[in-house]
Amino acid sequence: MSVRVLDPTVDTSPAKAGATTKLTSLAGRTIGLLDNGKINVRPLLDHMERMLRSQYGVRDVVRLRKLDFSRPVPAPVLAAMQGCDAVISAVGD
Amino acid sequence: MATRALQSAIYELADALDVNEHYQQNGWTDGLPIVPPTEERVREFLDAACLAPGDIIGVESVRQRPISAEKAAINVVMAGCLPTYMPVVVSVLRAMCVAEYNMHGSTASTGGSAPLIVVNGPIRAALGMNATHGVLGNGNRANATIGRAIRLVLINVLGCIPGQIDRATLGHPGKFTFCLAEDEEDSPWIPLAQERGVPAGASGVTVMAAEAPRQVMNEWTHDPEEIAETIAAEMRHNMLTYSVWAGNYALIIPKQLRDLFVAAGWRKHDIREYVYRSARVLRRDWATVGKGTIVARGGGPDQEFTALRWPEDLLVIAAGGPAGGFAAVVPPWYGARALAVTQTIDPVQGDQ
Repeated sequence: MSVRVLDPTVDTSPAKAGATTKLTSLAGRTIGLLDNGKINVRPLLDHMERMLRSQYGVRDVVRLRKLDFSRPVPAPVLAAMQGCDAVISAVGD
Repeated sequence: MATRALQSAIYELADALDVNEHYQQNGWTDGLPIVPPTEERVREFLDAACLAPGDIIGVESVRQRPISAEKAAINVVMAGCLPTYMPVVVSVLRAMCVAEYNMHGSTASTGGSAPLIVVNGPIRAALGMNATHGVLGNGNRANATIGRAIRLVLINVLGCIPGQIDRATLGHPGKFTFCLAEDEEDSPWIPLAQERGVPAGASGVTVMAAEAPRQVMNEWTHDPEEIAETIAAEMRHNMLTYSVWAGNYALIIPKQLRDLFVAAGWRKHDIREYVYRSARVLRRDWATVGKGTIVARGGGPDQEFTALRWPEDLLVIAAGGPAGGFAAVVPPWYGARALAVTQTIDPVQGDQ
């Protein structure tokens, strides 16, 4: 006699979301830099901001910050991202 | 009215050994063998907690992952629980879905914590839980399988698989199970859950994202301050060698040292006050453990850190075997980024 058993899992793959159009150039774009509160993020993003401004001709760099890297981005920070063409989040370790 | 139909996919396999092999091969376990989650068994567990399959026990808020009663029950069966354990597991999951618990952060972190579960109230006796000999070890079905059920839910429902969502560098043995009952019968102290708002006579669970227990010993004194100092010293050591950030520490005090505190008139409150004052380090102390490079940072060498934000951060639990001058300090995963949460176990469900 066989045994009928139930699947213990749920599909944990991320919800389907359409990929946005890739930027072909950073020139004239507004780039967000998200500091997630991990150690040494600030000097890393400072360096990236200098690179973006001096080498890539971005229009503006928006510095964003969340206070706790283990929690989601607060709504006001998320709202500030809406004005960016792209956001770089740092760092994962 | 909620539907009684189970929604999960069904597998038809030859026997229980085949079921185990199938689940092992799919990575649906913690590595240990499982009990086959048959439809009948899963229904029995849902009934024990008065839940319909589609009821949502809680939602992991960061990744927006609901934990349905059906999926929880399947994993609770697999863990080897009895149906009567189901209300405890459900209460633990509800507590872990409270924002302060920080379920995503604490389960995904390289820090590798495990949920420490403390059960209080009449349900301990109803389930035959262990609060004495080897309380942090093996040997009791309820202690072992309630903790294991939580781990299986984390793996199978929330995807907390090592190397995937679970990024723990090391982890610790408590990730298999980390559940104990408080020895309320042999202690004059107020039970943990009652101190944290559960009504007297009711059952409750307290859960915190915890690192591995650190065992201490002081059999050389009857002075409560000296015993408390040994405990505080272990917390200072944890602050220097692991993480300095203040938050909930659990302190498990077995009978031998507990009796000495009680004889001296100390309550849990007195232990908390002493430890709060004593479990402190200065930034300069890091130089003594090979971390001299950070002594000059922040507030400089004389910057003081406390293990606890305030005395109430210390969760004092009366538990452990009768002989031996031991105690265990259980540090938080990452200070106050995740906090202990206490949840009442529904008396209708839990104490029938």
